[in-house]
This record gives sequence, C-alpha cells and structure tokens, in this order.
Amino acid sequence: MKVAVFWGCRILTSQYAYEMSIRQAFPRLDVELVDLPEFHCCGDPVKSMNDVAANYLATRVLALASTTGLDNLLVPCNRCHFVASESKYFMEKNGKISQKITSLLKEEGLEYNPSIKVWHTIDFLHNLVGLDDIKKAVRKPLLGLKLATHVGCQIIRYSDLGRVDDAENPRKLDELVGALGAETVDYAEKLDCCGANLMYSHTDTALSLAGTKMKALQNLMVDGLVVSCPDCGLMFDFKQKDAEATVGAKLDLPVLYYTQLLGWSLDIEQKQLGLHLNQSPVEKLLARVSI
Amino acid sequence: MSLTDLMSMAKPNLESREKILVKLIGKELLNCFQCIKCTSGCTALKLLELKPHEIVKLVSLGFVDELASSDIIWTCVTCLKCLQRCPRKASPYHVIIALRNLAVEREAKVPEGYLKAVSQIIETGLAESVQKVVTKKMETFDREGLKLPRITLPKESFQATFMKVMEER
Repeated sequence: MKVAVFWGCRILTSQYAYEMSIRQAFPRLDVELVDLPEFHCCGDPVKSMNDVAANYLATRVLALASTTGLDNLLVPCNRCHFVASESKYFMEKNGKISQKITSLLKEEGLEYNPSIKVWHTIDFLHNLVGLDDIKKAVRKPLLGLKLATHVGCQIIRYSDLGRVDDAENPRKLDELVGALGAETVDYAEKLDCCGANLMYSHTDTALSLAGTKMKALQNLMVDGLVVSCPDCGLMFDFKQKDAEATVGAKLDLPVLYYTQLLGWSLDIEQKQLGLHLNQSPVEKLLARVSI
Repeated sequence: MSLTDLMSMAKPNLESREKILVKLIGKELLNCFQCIKCTSGCTALKLLELKPHEIVKLVSLGFVDELASSDIIWTCVTCLKCLQRCPRKASPYHVIIALRNLAVEREAKVPEGYLKAVSQIIETGLAESVQKVVTKKMETFDREGLKLPRITLPKESFQATFMKVMEER
C-alpha cells in the first residue's frame, strides 16, 4: 500500500523521533511512504491571525497531495490533521471559502481534489493496516508492560468533520498498544490537554497543564505514557524537566511515540527509531521488556 | 482586569458584532442558551479564567470591541471540547478565532509567538525553524546526522500568494 505523507513543521524541525519511527516501522507493515513535493506550514498558527489564509495553506497541502496521484494522505500531527480536515470540510460545504481558495490555488496551477482522504497515524494503522496484521508482524511482544495512552485533542474533535476516534471515549490507541502485547490503563485525566497551543502566549500555564497530567500518571504507577502527536511529544517528553517547576514535583515518566513502541516490538534497532533522542527516561521502560 | 470590569463602562456596538457574525459559518452563536457546558469543560478555565459562555454572550450582546482588545481571547488552548459538547452548535472556539482575527485586523496586541510563526512562514514556508537536538548523553544531532531527508521548501509563487491572502480582509 502506498500513502502520501504530510509531516508538518513540528515533526520536521524538532520531533525527529516521530518521523524516524514512522519511516522505519511503516515499510515493515508493507506501507510505502511518499513525501509531498513541497513542505510548508499547515496553517494552524495562522488560523488565529487570518482564518482564510490558514484554509488556503491547508488546502494547498491537500492539492499537493493529489499531485502524487495517491488518494490517501497520512498526517501524523494532530494539529495539522485538524486544520487539513476542517479545510476539506469547508471546501465541500462552504461555497464562499471554496470559491476563493480554488482561485488562489489556480494561480499556482494547483487544484483541490475531493477524493483525497486524510488519515492520522492512529486510524491509518487501526483501520487500514489493521490490528491483525500488526499482531502478526510483532517479533518482541511487550508483555508485562502497563502503559497509559494520550490521544490528544484535535484528532478526536469535532465530530462533524469526521474524526479519528470517539470524542469522549477514544479506544483505538489503546487497542493498538494492546496489539503489541502491552496492557493499557484508563485514568481520569485521559482527555486532559497537553497545553502545547499555549506555548505561543502563556508558557508557564502550558507547562503546568502538561505537568499536572504527568504527576497524576506517576501516581498510577504506569511504566510509561504513549503519545501520537508531535505537540504532545514536545510537552510530555522534551519539556518534562521544564514542567517540574510548575507543579512542584519530580517528574520521571518515560514518554514515547506509539510508532517508536511499534518499531521496538518489530525488532527495529533503538537508534533507528530515535529512542536516543527522547529526553524522558525511556530506558527504564525498555529495560523492562528487554530479554 | 476582569471581563466584568471591562464591560461595566462599555456600550454595545452592533457594527462590530456583525463583523464577527459574518466570519462565522451560519449564525449559530445566537442559538446559545447559556447551559455553560462549554465553560464547565474548558481547559483554560482553571488556570486562566477563560469562560467561553461569557464570550459568546458578550458577542451576541455586541461587546465585541472590548473582547477584541482583551488578553482573554488569547488564553484558549484550542482543545475543541466546547465545540464538541455544545448542544446548540454555537461553537465558542470559532467565536474566539473570529475575535482573534478581528484583533489582528485592528492591529491590537497579538502574542509574539503568532507573529513570529507568520514571518517564519513567509521566510521559509515552515512556522518553526529547524533545530538541532541534544540527547541525554549530550550528543548533538540534526536531520542530516539522523539520516533524515532534506526539507524541500515551497516554490516562490507560494510566498507571494500567502502574503496576498494575509493582507486581504
């Protein structure tokens, strides 16, 4: 199966482990990734400044995806996935916006094609690859691990757009972790936001949101937290030490991307999955499954 | 300054209210019956005192100028819970985005992070600059060192079109 990929800025400029693990793990599941011919912002930060410009950027991404000749577009970032999905919705439901953007794209010889489908890592693996195929590919089952999942906000809301999973009780990421042999826990703070979007304007509050969630998770004695969004990865992994001060607690929680965990259980080498780049103590978690 | 202080001296401005209404898809904002489901689940309520139901009510009453120049509209985390849970499809999220857009049009103060992101997009196409990462063992890596492919930046025509749309209202 071939799929076009739009990475988004956060992954391309700092969350390298997410990109590396997707590039390594997906081919093992017979998925060939095709990068878009150009990389640019999906429009998320622009939404607050000029909504039309944001929709132009996102629709341009969809139009670039169509130039690859493929109908499936993988968008591994939650924010990019939301902006792309909402633009698709506006292009199909809102004549005024769609007319304006169509003419802007035309100036550059691009065209929006409604047949393009937007996937996130979670629903791509769950719905298209399938739990059975993942189970079959696993070489190192993660038996005995107790993990918490954090799906993030923007891939599950708002339902009018058609989202990756249920808005109030998302299960797919838990099932994907289960397919690797690990156990997941339900916890009260599961739907709490990581706070990343506030890094633009209220840094301390953003860190405090992330810190509060991690503090609660540490009390549950889980082996680690599994994320699938570069913003959540940034907040929980890269910024974990910075968050300590805002919640007045020592934070020592292994945090990794689902695709890193997947790659690990497919027996891909740690460095190829970017596991050396995680700032949180992932080695604690890995030591528990190493034979 | 709290919102109540802001409003005590204010007079409604129906022209500004219309500016927000045209930005919203439909005018569902006026359907709001103040059930406060949005505020009770708001991520930014506890730490930043954002009350989405108040924002919606104030806009429908016409107190738009005060909101557009207030810091409160920049406290939204965009978690989208308010919009998901609203029984009247009033979408406080979209109201807040429309208020932010109006604030930008009026050149009110906008958090620096957003301005930086836009100038970065104009310069390179990406909203962030490419970083080197340092591991826990203090080794430094960039994309090349990690054997990741080079980033292909957009054609020049992209920048011109983007700047044109940004300037249009």
